[in-house]
Amino acid sequence: MADLLGQLEALAAAARTACAAAGDEKALEELRVRFLGKKGELSAVLRGMGALSAEERPRVGEVANRVRDEVEALLGARKAALGEAALEAELAGQPIDVTLAGRRPLPRGHRHPLTRAAEEIAGIFARLGYEVASGPEIELDWYNFEALNIPADHPARDMQDTFYVDPSTLREGRAKGGVLLRTHTSPVQIRAMQRIGEPPIRIICPGRVYRSDYDQTHSPMFHQVEGLCVDTKITFADLKGTLAAFARAYFGPGTKTRFRPSYFPFVEPGAEVDVSCSICGGSGRKDGRRCGTCKETGWLEVLGAGMVHPKVLRNGGIDPTRHTGFAFGMGVERLAMLKYGIDDLRLFFDNDLRFLEQF
Amino acid sequence: MQISLKWLSQYVDLPSPEALAKGLTAVGLEVEAIERIGQGLAGVVVARVLAAEKHPNAEKLSVTSVDRGEGAPIQVVCGARNYAVGDLVPLATVGTTLPGGVKIEKARLRGVESFGMLCSARELGLDADASGLLILPKDLAPGTPIAEALGLEDVLLEVNVTPNRPDCLSHIGIAREVAALLGQPVRAPATVVQEAGEPAARAVQVRIEAPDRCARYAARVVEGVRIGPSPAWLARRLEACGVRSISNVVDATNFVLLELGHPLHAFDLDKVAGAEIVVRTARPGERITTLDGKERLLEESDLLIADRDRGSALAGVMGGGDSEISQGTTRVLLESAWFAPGSIRRTSRRQGLKSEASYRFERGADPGMVLPALDRCAALIAELAGGTVRPGVVDRVARPATQGQVRLRWTRPAELLGMAVPREEARRVLLGLGFGELAADEEGATFSVPSWRVDVAIEEDLVEELVRTRGYDAIPETLPAAAVRTPAEGPEAGVVARIREALEAAGFSEAINFSFVAEPDLAPLRYDVAVGDGTTRALGIALKNPISAELSLMRTSLVPSLLKNAARNRAQRVDDVRLYELARVYHPAPVEAEGDAPTLEDLRVAGVLLGRRAPAGWTGGADAVDFYDAKAATEAVLRGLGVAGARWEAGGEAWLHPRVAATVRAADGERFGWVGELHPRVAEAFDLPRGVLAFELRVEALARHGALVPRYHVIPSLPAVLRDLAVLVAEPVTAEAVLAAVREEPLVGEATIFDVYRGAPIPAGRKNLALAISYRAADRTLTDAEAEAAHGRIVARLAARLGAELRG
Repeated sequence: MADLLGQLEALAAAARTACAAAGDEKALEELRVRFLGKKGELSAVLRGMGALSAEERPRVGEVANRVRDEVEALLGARKAALGEAALEAELAGQPIDVTLAGRRPLPRGHRHPLTRAAEEIAGIFARLGYEVASGPEIELDWYNFEALNIPADHPARDMQDTFYVDPSTLREGRAKGGVLLRTHTSPVQIRAMQRIGEPPIRIICPGRVYRSDYDQTHSPMFHQVEGLCVDTKITFADLKGTLAAFARAYFGPGTKTRFRPSYFPFVEPGAEVDVSCSICGGSGRKDGRRCGTCKETGWLEVLGAGMVHPKVLRNGGIDPTRHTGFAFGMGVERLAMLKYGIDDLRLFFDNDLRFLEQF
Repeated sequence: MQISLKWLSQYVDLPSPEALAKGLTAVGLEVEAIERIGQGLAGVVVARVLAAEKHPNAEKLSVTSVDRGEGAPIQVVCGARNYAVGDLVPLATVGTTLPGGVKIEKARLRGVESFGMLCSARELGLDADASGLLILPKDLAPGTPIAEALGLEDVLLEVNVTPNRPDCLSHIGIAREVAALLGQPVRAPATVVQEAGEPAARAVQVRIEAPDRCARYAARVVEGVRIGPSPAWLARRLEACGVRSISNVVDATNFVLLELGHPLHAFDLDKVAGAEIVVRTARPGERITTLDGKERLLEESDLLIADRDRGSALAGVMGGGDSEISQGTTRVLLESAWFAPGSIRRTSRRQGLKSEASYRFERGADPGMVLPALDRCAALIAELAGGTVRPGVVDRVARPATQGQVRLRWTRPAELLGMAVPREEARRVLLGLGFGELAADEEGATFSVPSWRVDVAIEEDLVEELVRTRGYDAIPETLPAAAVRTPAEGPEAGVVARIREALEAAGFSEAINFSFVAEPDLAPLRYDVAVGDGTTRALGIALKNPISAELSLMRTSLVPSLLKNAARNRAQRVDDVRLYELARVYHPAPVEAEGDAPTLEDLRVAGVLLGRRAPAGWTGGADAVDFYDAKAATEAVLRGLGVAGARWEAGGEAWLHPRVAATVRAADGERFGWVGELHPRVAEAFDLPRGVLAFELRVEALARHGALVPRYHVIPSLPAVLRDLAVLVAEPVTAEAVLAAVREEPLVGEATIFDVYRGAPIPAGRKNLALAISYRAADRTLTDAEAEAAHGRIVARLAARLGAELRG
């Protein structure tokens, strides 16, 4: 029995030394197998218990259990200590190169600045209760001109150089009275009145328009947003309030508006609308120099507007003795250029990604 | 319209040019520019030639001594010879910079000192005459600044006159507006025609044969005129307004045009055959040579001023060469007429011939100005060119001008403007503008419209007069009362927003291209359009008057524009391109199509991609995009719109790579569009490398098959059993076929292919597909045995149907 007890004590002592020397988890696992495994040293000692008497066996068993517990504790403690040391070493090691670029997922694409501007404009009017309407870009002469109080042989047609469609490229019967590319979004006024019928009508129509003019400051295709509000008792004061609210929302809260009499055949009275220059704040001077955006006037012409002409209301199926309305139109390119500081109209249609990615 | 303030000030007292410009702009006559002229001539003075001697060393030069009004005479070397001692000439003194940029300095010419330069008209920038010195009128004092001496100093306003206000295309018209603005009277030019000799009616007959086009034709005859240059004041007036001085008689007509706004025409009466004027439409095949020297073939709707034999003038547009005023003219027939605007405009446009006259007639001349303008001009001709005005006007009135009348209800301004205008103010404003009050009662008043206000016809026009005089600033700002329909955003709006979102998230930036393209851009894509008789026409809708062939055809696909964008970006060294465009394409509307739109405008979304899949970085990612990136974009769009069950069928359009192309269809078979790699030959046509991917989808079809509102499905609460499966199949076996066979097993929850492998040790012509399959039942937890059985059934089905072989 003494022999067995001596072996257990020796085993415990060896385990103490070995555990203290174990350098990593793998070594600890080897020690566990060596001391506590099925074919390990503890099992080998215990196999000798068969020769012991019934009185001796419990005493040896007791010692064996104590040794087992001790070895397990030794292994566990050493494992924890090693883990702690490894963590400390990891935390104290060389920092990573935080200056390398972050991992790059596929970058988002960019919405075209004209779309951004048109969406913002339409969004402002949506909050004022306007619904989005649309109409054809290839339009009948009647909607683009006649119905808007611009009869054939009227000099007002010179205000808009028109692209006409070769009727031989259309089906017969679909080109009544001439077909053209709409020169403004105003024909949507007529189509909207015809579609909606009884006022109140409040629509906003962003879209492509076309004029036969191509140089540094004119593009043969550009974008407008048209607005129309028809109801009983709509006044020019309502028009002023609406566009002033729009200008403040789009250009900023301090923006002022100015209405000047002008002529558009489909409104009466008609006006051109200026907003205080968003670049120089209306002072005409920027950083001590002449403001090039407003040419020192402090004002930017951005809109045409007016009270809907009675003939136009009638052409839309609305009774002008019972209803009045206002309409307005604005150029999206101009509004986008002012908002984003773009100085060349042609950039919009080059679709250079180095340009598009800025928005 | 260019307005001379010096001229304008004859008719009305003017404030400062800046104040005037502001006031005119405020009443709707936008002043676009203020130009001061005669300013560049400081330093040029009137000088008297006291002596002139031949230059000792130069044959062509002379040495003059001139008196410049102060100090001792100075010596100036001069090359001209058209002057005499005692003449007054312009002297540019030392230090002056002439309008042409020449700086005058003290100079030594062939050894003789010169202290200035004697100038020609051209050197002063006055006209083109460089033949000699400008000889000045004798009554000027030496030393007088030349600009003052010649009345050159003036301020010009460039006024943008809108097409509705032809009455403002003259100095008197602007003066009327200024006078109304300032509450002053207009000083209209008074005309007294001194008449003598035989009545005009004996010298010429006038007949109007086209009364619908010429309401009135009045003529005067001036005899014994001497054609010559205009006096300087008249030439300067015209030139200030951008009209070239021609001769005294022609200048007189142009002067009256610019003064009173009424176009006049002068004929050489001796060249008017039969001494008769017939106002008629052209005869078939008739021709006329206009003053610009062009022979013009006329149409029967063109209005002519003819003599007994032939056309003498294109009425209201331009005179004819045959009856033109020439040096030998002594008898002048002066025309003042009123022509119908539409007739003049049609002729002017068809002939491509615009003139000051046609510009005014097509906008509407003042019928009340026919006789005053005629008298004014006849008197001016007699004054400028000598001669006698024959007594009387030969005046034919085919249709008397009607007096316009418009009623204004006192309440209407408030209804339209949101601002009341007191009736007394309304009266004052309208009367100040030349309207007349015909009748009034408690509710309103009826006003006569001045003959020159062709733009005023309805009550709203009167309201505009009131508000533009008061200024829009006076109107308050309100918002419309809140009677609003619930904004019914079309379903399209949501669809478009989701497509944008899906593609932008997938890395595509938005392009906006012109809707018109060049035929060669569409040609490689061979978009054919079915024509009614069963044949097809290659291309779409064409413009009648394109800016250029490059911009002549309405797009039938968005892709060519995007391909050009891609090529352009590559040329700028932007090699990774992902662009999309959302826009309409255009096809002729079938005869039976709904509505009256001439074409079918089909909203499309298209994209193009080439270059690397992701930006290269130290983490990798430099692979080139391939078909599956393009397909992912179409999947993203469909997912964004909630389109379920779409299919990608092999094979697509002719412009795509035949092996790398798919047609995208809805579950019900409707075609959404296509996706694929560009055919190498098409890519070459667009200057693009191989490996360009593109897609185009029809938004309207997508919207019809989409579900924008998500539907909730119960989340499975019981665990699934996961199994992987690797099978070998022949190359033509598609993923769709394999997955369809797998999904036939009812216990399959999800099945995805997570690897495709070709190459050793797999034999050529076959590929290994690795699938991850989850098995689940809705009502119980599956046992391993159940899952194994299902897995076995799938393997057997794949083997039997697709010849698949189980691996490892």
